[in-house]
Amino acid sequence: MSVHVSPDTSDSDATDRGTQVPVPHVELVLSVEDDLLVLARLTVSAVASRAGFDVEEIEDLRLAVDELCLLVLRGRRTGRLVLAMAIEPGRIDIWCRYDGTEDPRDAGAEDESDLSQRILDALVDEHGPAMLDGRTGAHLCKQRALADD
Amino acid sequence: MEQDIEIDVERRGGSTIVSARGEVDVATAPALREGLDEAVAADAGAVVVDLTGVTFIDSTGLGVLIGARKRCLDADLELRVVVTEPRILKVFEITGLTELFAIHESLEPALEA
Repeated sequence: MSVHVSPDTSDSDATDRGTQVPVPHVELVLSVEDDLLVLARLTVSAVASRAGFDVEEIEDLRLAVDELCLLVLRGRRTGRLVLAMAIEPGRIDIWCRYDGTEDPRDAGAEDESDLSQRILDALVDEHGPAMLDGRTGAHLCKQRALADD
Repeated sequence: MEQDIEIDVERRGGSTIVSARGEVDVATAPALREGLDEAVAADAGAVVVDLTGVTFIDSTGLGVLIGARKRCLDADLELRVVVTEPRILKVFEITGLTELFAIHESLEPALEA
């Protein structure tokens, strides 16, 4: 696992958030092992807390990032998972991509993928496929309920 | 890095109770599946899944419960779920699974249902 925290130099004028990382504040690289997803959840909790999200919103983000990772991994067991998180006032963007050569193993797991989509629909403001470092992945965005407090 | 989850399977009257404590995700869901398989194999009248001690559940855990429900239906067993934690109940609600599962607010009513 590696964690990279960049200076607070995010490009808040980025216009195409779903496909372009502005300059992430935090980048987390995990070996693809099932029990390392807990580290993705812990990291997003810490980042969201620092960004001023409340407890309920942080819990939403913990589950949402878990589902985002599951959608990107699609049952793979090798390689790396790369997460990038960018914070702006009242908003957090998270990108996730798979870095490896294994094909997805999730044939027959349509039920769980559908559940992931429903969870993301309910918990975040935006989510969908996105590019990260030139590779296909997924992105989500959540905004604080009261962005101006 | 290992995550902790505790799964207990207990026979009580005409039911088999599967109690989970901890976080249910892709790493720990197989342990829940094992407990549920054991409960289905016990072939009591009902399988009661007690999620009172669960602090996190994702789609993998929900998928395990859906699979258990199918196996219970095949075996002519009832599957009941106990959820007390609002965060966990919210996950069932947003996925529409409150329509699929008989959800109870405590263990005793689930056993008596």
